[in-house]
Amino acid sequence: MSGPPRGYFRSLVFLLPALTFITVFVIAPSIATVFLSLYVDGQFSVAKYVEVVSERSPDKALIMITSRPESPPWGALVHNIIWMAIHIPLVTLLGLLLAYLLKYTFGSSVVKTIVFIGMVIPMVVGGLIIRFMFDEHVGVVPLVFNALGVDFLAKTWTNYPQLSLLALILGSVWLWTGFSLTVYSAALGSIPSSFIEAARIDGAGHWHIFWKIVFPLVRPATIIVVVMTMLWDLKIFDIVYVATLGGPGGSSNVLALVMYQYMARALDYEAASAVAVILTLLTLPPGLWLALRLRRGG
Amino acid sequence: MEASRSIAITAGLLIVVILISLFSYLSITSRIESIEQSISSVQEDISEVQQKISNIEQEVRGIKEAAGAETTTPTIETETKTETVVVEKVTLTVIGPWSGKEQEYFMTVLEKFMEENPNITIKYVPMRAEEVARTLSVQFEAGVTPADVVITPWAWWIVEMAQKGHVVEVTGLINEDEYVGGILDSVKWNNKLWGVPFTMWLKPGFWYKKSFFAKHGLSEPNSWDEFLQLLDQIKGIEGIKNPIVSGDSVGWPLSDVTEHFIIAFGGPELQYKLITGEVSFTDPQVVEIFERLTMLIEQGYFSEPIEWTGAVEKWWAEEYALYFMGTWITGMVEDPNDLAFFPLPGARGVVGGTDYAFIPKYTENLDAAKLLLQYLATEGQAVHVSTPAGKVPTWLGVDTDQLWPPMQGVFAKIKELNMTIVPDLDDTIGGDWQVLFWDQLKLLWVQPDRLNEVLQTLASEHPAAGGG
Repeated sequence: MSGPPRGYFRSLVFLLPALTFITVFVIAPSIATVFLSLYVDGQFSVAKYVEVVSERSPDKALIMITSRPESPPWGALVHNIIWMAIHIPLVTLLGLLLAYLLKYTFGSSVVKTIVFIGMVIPMVVGGLIIRFMFDEHVGVVPLVFNALGVDFLAKTWTNYPQLSLLALILGSVWLWTGFSLTVYSAALGSIPSSFIEAARIDGAGHWHIFWKIVFPLVRPATIIVVVMTMLWDLKIFDIVYVATLGGPGGSSNVLALVMYQYMARALDYEAASAVAVILTLLTLPPGLWLALRLRRGG
Repeated sequence: MEASRSIAITAGLLIVVILISLFSYLSITSRIESIEQSISSVQEDISEVQQKISNIEQEVRGIKEAAGAETTTPTIETETKTETVVVEKVTLTVIGPWSGKEQEYFMTVLEKFMEENPNITIKYVPMRAEEVARTLSVQFEAGVTPADVVITPWAWWIVEMAQKGHVVEVTGLINEDEYVGGILDSVKWNNKLWGVPFTMWLKPGFWYKKSFFAKHGLSEPNSWDEFLQLLDQIKGIEGIKNPIVSGDSVGWPLSDVTEHFIIAFGGPELQYKLITGEVSFTDPQVVEIFERLTMLIEQGYFSEPIEWTGAVEKWWAEEYALYFMGTWITGMVEDPNDLAFFPLPGARGVVGGTDYAFIPKYTENLDAAKLLLQYLATEGQAVHVSTPAGKVPTWLGVDTDQLWPPMQGVFAKIKELNMTIVPDLDDTIGGDWQVLFWDQLKLLWVQPDRLNEVLQTLASEHPAAGGG
């Protein structure tokens, strides 16, 4: 009869404090949230899910169908998807490009530090900076467009439904690029310099070295950057709350803000839980995929 | 082997202890919940009985009156209790909506109170109404409070918290007959008082610099046409970006000017009817008023929304000529004597609002908090209105000559125009709808062609229409 491995109980003892805390502070609240979202007026039902999905108020809608499909609001869920569609490629490419340039061409730790500042700034402050950056009177972005004579972009971006979401996404590119830069810098550091030198001797140019050698070798880092950025995009809250509060007209609303509005403003905990569960279901697949990938060794 | 066995036993014991604790906790919690439910049901019964008694009393009074019997006016026992309560040395935390200069003026009130009550030290924390409503609601639900006294202009929220059992009842703490009529109604629920009023602000019209008007030969308009002519004249002045600057960032500046249009062209009664939901935002009368407003926006008479305190500076620097704002603006400009205002021609009402102070149930310094509340509602008002805070008292015990001199002029003009004081529309409706209103107005300001969509959203989400 084979019993448990020798170190099994010892491991369990070491794990017990952590498991207790995780149970009390993570697992139990998560179960309670799912329970709360399904237990409405004394009975189990999916009424709250139906309610939050069919909500059409611009500040709470997850999907919004309006008479003007060309202009936001399109609903918080759609905004999150747009956020990912723009943010992930930009952050990934910018991070890789900057890390590469800084390492192999005009490398400077000062530049790295400047880019990394976005990463260490509290998100609430980041939101404020975004608001000012895109303000017609004090912001650098409208100032540049004004100098270029592009009038429709030389105004306060956060005031306009067509521009407010874009302003937040571009602002968050700046805030989050520090992360991808750091991950790619570490990945580039692990590439043996002999690979690059050999390619140079063979006459490969920067572009060839980048695409044929560097890019394939930093693939595990790219996976981490993409998945982490996706998770960041789904849970985005602080900068939206501070910079636009989801406005104007709900045009920059996101899922986490809708959840917060149900929870803290309407005190509708069941609806807030339903949004939280939807948000979790969306974040779970990329999270699990990354976890499995890392477990298998990238 | 021995060691692993003892570790296994310990681990097993630990799990058992945790499970027992967990079950005990759950069972105690459910018992507490059931006791709380019983208490709240008893409380509901009591208030129902009280309500029935008061109904019976009213009926009896009616019968007596009908029978021609002499009715005796019931004596209201609400005399302000002025006895000094001996309080131990305590530190009170007060949350209020003022920061910057406004905070300085309020601190004058608190300092005076501390002088008179040396045992009480006050720590003031500024927090805007929106933040108070969002963060404190959750903290109250958890049974904690970050402050002993909270001041907010949102009476609806105080009542909502009182209904949830988070607020200390203060009936009898002040003499209700000593206040501006109707000012206490919004902090009453179940015939009980849940907060006390502090000073009042008014939102009387478009502010301008007398020197600017004199320099350019401008004068106050007496009709809508004259108002449009004035805007045209201002538009033609060199250096002016837009005739009217629009305040923004927290939403209410846009709602203030909108409400002024509603009151001017629909009368104070329309404002009341919009609050109660008796008239919808899609009603032709309301649509017509909004069309006037959007016409001005479309023609560039209003600026795009600018952060409201920054807008004060730009307006004072003569980049804009007019600014619709509350009376507190008198305390925000370099020279309040150069300041004047005019309402939209024909406006018979002025929006007035008050900050209310209340005590969260979870305070540990109830006596001291009550003492402060009493002071804020009475003598504290006299101190506050004498500063450049730009406020008027709600307590009738303050004389007009105690007002800060520039405010005496403003107050006199409002009286001269015979304007009735009307409640703030979004502050009274409150809740989700208030923030939606602000956000939809922001949208309207940049896309006035979306007027119908905006009005439909406001109508369908109005709490009286089943929204919110």
